[in-house]
Amino acid sequence: MAYRRSIYAKEDETAEINLSPMIDCIFILLIFFIVTTVFVEKPDATIEKPLALTDSNLEKNSLILAITGDNRIIYGSREISLAGVSLHVKQNILKNEMPVIIQADVNADHNVFSKVWSECKRAGAKKISISTLKD
Amino acid sequence: MPRRSLLDESENELEINLSPMIDCIFILLIFFIVTTVFVEEAGIQLNKPDSTVLSSEQESEDVSFTITANNKLLHEGQEIALAQVKEIVRNGLRGKDTPVSIKTSGKSRHGLLVAVWDRAKQAGAVKLSFNTVD
Repeated sequence: MAYRRSIYAKEDETAEINLSPMIDCIFILLIFFIVTTVFVEKPDATIEKPLALTDSNLEKNSLILAITGDNRIIYGSREISLAGVSLHVKQNILKNEMPVIIQADVNADHNVFSKVWSECKRAGAKKISISTLKD
Repeated sequence: MPRRSLLDESENELEINLSPMIDCIFILLIFFIVTTVFVEEAGIQLNKPDSTVLSSEQESEDVSFTITANNKLLHEGQEIALAQVKEIVRNGLRGKDTPVSIKTSGKSRHGLLVAVWDRAKQAGAVKLSFNTVD
């Protein structure tokens, strides 16, 4: 009886798990996610993007505006007016020099696109790109 | 002798309880995993000329296309197909910086401008620009 009990007692003492390697792993994951996180508001609209062969990858940290097929301008989850475009662009440019990406639908009127483009330019955007279909 | 036993006890209690810290880190980790969005956008940079440059540049030098309000593509007054754009640009380019301009009607589709732009770029045009006419 005495022998058995002593074995149990020993097992209880050694049953602690060494947590430090796990903490190391979690820290590395945490740092990875902190570094890669960019807070970008993606437009909440379905856009049929045009196809282009000469496209290149755009900067991840950009201001994204969308123009739908029925000529509405979308920023984030809401519709904005043409005057609202320069407001949002100005705000983001004051904070940090962000490039602007215009996601225009294939069927959108060129007039609307042109006005949004000019509005972004007037608000001070240095780099304005259009979004194309990824192949 | 009683002193040693006291020391032993205090050494035993020196272990830090890490579980609250792990909890915090886990919460932070989950927050960052959830909020991470990997934005992968492909695109082209479009540019419009300044109005001052537009008026001073002679029009005979450059290759120009016109997109009409009913989505027809014109080159030198004649209607052309989208497939001909590459050939026209290739023949029209005299140097690397021969300008190619696309005059676009405000009522045309956005997709057509991008298609013409893409084909001109494929043919080797570097100085591309569009301008909007009503």
